[in-house]
Amino acid sequence: MSQTITIDPVTRLEGHGKITIQLNGQGEVEDAHFHVTQVRGFERFSEGRPFYEMPSLMARICGICPVSHLIASAKACEAIMSVRIPHTAAQLRRMMNLAQMVQSHALSFFYLASPDLLLGMESDPKVRNILGVAAAKPELGRGGVALRRFGQSIIELLGEKRVHPGWVVPGGVTEPLSTEKRDKILAMIPEAYANIALALGAYKKIADTFKAEIAVFANFPSNYMSLINEDESIEFTDGALRLIDAKGSTVEDGITATRYTEVIGEAVEPYSYTKFAYYKPLGYPEGSYRVGPLARLNIVKKMGTPKAEKELAEFKQLAPGLVESSFHYHHARLVEMLYGVERIEEILADSRILDKHVRATAGVNRLEGAGQAEAPRGVLHHHYKVDENGKMTWANLVIATGQNNKAMNLGVLQAAKHYIKNGKFTEGILNRVEAVVRTFDPCLSCSTHAFGQMPLAITLVSAEGEELDKVVRG
Amino acid sequence: MAKRMADNHKGDELNPDLAEPLHFEKANCLVLACGNTLRSDDGIGPRLAEWAAERFRGDGHVRVVARQQWTPDLATDVAAADSVLFVDSSVDSVPGRVSLVAVPSNRGNSDARSHHLEAHELLGLTRSLYGSMSAHALLLTVGAGSTELGETFSDQVEAALPRARGVLEKTVLRFLAN
Repeated sequence: MSQTITIDPVTRLEGHGKITIQLNGQGEVEDAHFHVTQVRGFERFSEGRPFYEMPSLMARICGICPVSHLIASAKACEAIMSVRIPHTAAQLRRMMNLAQMVQSHALSFFYLASPDLLLGMESDPKVRNILGVAAAKPELGRGGVALRRFGQSIIELLGEKRVHPGWVVPGGVTEPLSTEKRDKILAMIPEAYANIALALGAYKKIADTFKAEIAVFANFPSNYMSLINEDESIEFTDGALRLIDAKGSTVEDGITATRYTEVIGEAVEPYSYTKFAYYKPLGYPEGSYRVGPLARLNIVKKMGTPKAEKELAEFKQLAPGLVESSFHYHHARLVEMLYGVERIEEILADSRILDKHVRATAGVNRLEGAGQAEAPRGVLHHHYKVDENGKMTWANLVIATGQNNKAMNLGVLQAAKHYIKNGKFTEGILNRVEAVVRTFDPCLSCSTHAFGQMPLAITLVSAEGEELDKVVRG
Repeated sequence: MAKRMADNHKGDELNPDLAEPLHFEKANCLVLACGNTLRSDDGIGPRLAEWAAERFRGDGHVRVVARQQWTPDLATDVAAADSVLFVDSSVDSVPGRVSLVAVPSNRGNSDARSHHLEAHELLGLTRSLYGSMSAHALLLTVGAGSTELGETFSDQVEAALPRARGVLEKTVLRFLAN
């Protein structure tokens, strides 16, 4: 008799999803799916709104990475306006996007992943949370809290709000940076370096104890895509996209926001509200690819900042060729956080960073525009159409989590097949299956453009639909 | 939103400790409110915080913070305060009831998640991370009648507002009294 194991919802994610694992009559895993069960809606209710409202509207999709939505949306609007924003505005936006990346990665690493990493996959689920980490490793807990505050404080200093700042607008930003705020940010940087060094040191010490997980946590060849600069260094806000294949060869380069929809398609699967992005010339699912920290570090040749450069070199030694296991997303996040702090320090040293001219103005000069930026979890794409009065007539958003969707599903299947034998599983085993999804740090609220919460229930269901067993957490 | 408050009384519940003057070296009070202003009575925390910010404007010893949820990063704010007044709505309480109770510092195991901690969990996290506890931590709640979508309060909570403000003011002043 075949059975289905359901993990619903998956815990310690941004949003609401579930996992089903289908077993055959012998209790072996036949298939597994990661379902996103929220319903989207932002694209529809933006229709009819003035296009210049879009950044602040779209930022409401997410409370973790609203800055990336602000930036991708503002860039789409600027394409409609046909304006180029002032240098200082571009630098300030870049800084805010990096600050968001640091706080989001800190949340992912310290709050969501570290309970598994520091307390163990099999540890008591009642203490396998941020409180348990704080009790067992207070210095790391303090570091995590401080790094999250570091990023949030910069966002607040620049945009007056920690979440959903209205400061990024079509044409630039609303307010220039003051000397006082610059100095406040500079004063926070030494502590941020110290906390990242602490986390990197701790992670490298324990990473070897997870060899078994590294081997089966979405560890397979795939394509990767990310923004990259012309000098092949990492980029989060500008640049163009590069897609590489599983051997690291460039498949397509210089994919601008305008060309994005020419080359990227979205497939639909019946089990998820999140679409499955793919590279059109290869078709679906062959054209599926991974995005986010692992993709970025696999694609770039250099970071462009000295401390992160050394860490990138070490990261690339984790595997011959590309680093394929999604477990290494955790490590990649720490490297990117280090880069983020270094780059923020560099931006603050820009001689024009205090310039007062931070916004360009224009009306509707095109009826269509697209913008892209790297969110912490990967590439984010906004594409809008307007009428001659600037009212929105159509919008489409391609979110990082949708682009990782196929890999997450394959990763869940790989781990489930490895760990579940003869239909038997423990809480620790199912936690590992969930942990595969956590490595991607998916933002399900973003991917469906809705909100959600995360308790957990695991259900074992027979082929006839009979509930055989159920475990509820939270 | 507080869900687990001991709530056995018909009327408002005030902590008897408040009858005694509080003594600490540094008067540094944090008013930490929680709630969603788009969910009717759940917005009572932020509304009271807004009032407190105005009432204690210019007083460097009082800091007011309002959030939709209490998150782990607030541990640094709690650690820096000598006294903390948590302000929230309570779905387990009689609508409009104003309660002021001590926050237990430790309740053992927790189902804490990344984005939402209860007052006692935030205190426990603060102690784990910084080895410090605020000398006084109290939880002020107002029983919620409705948490449906909306930006207005139920009649019971609207009627309770003056009483809740009075308890908040008196509590902060006692915290500050030295």
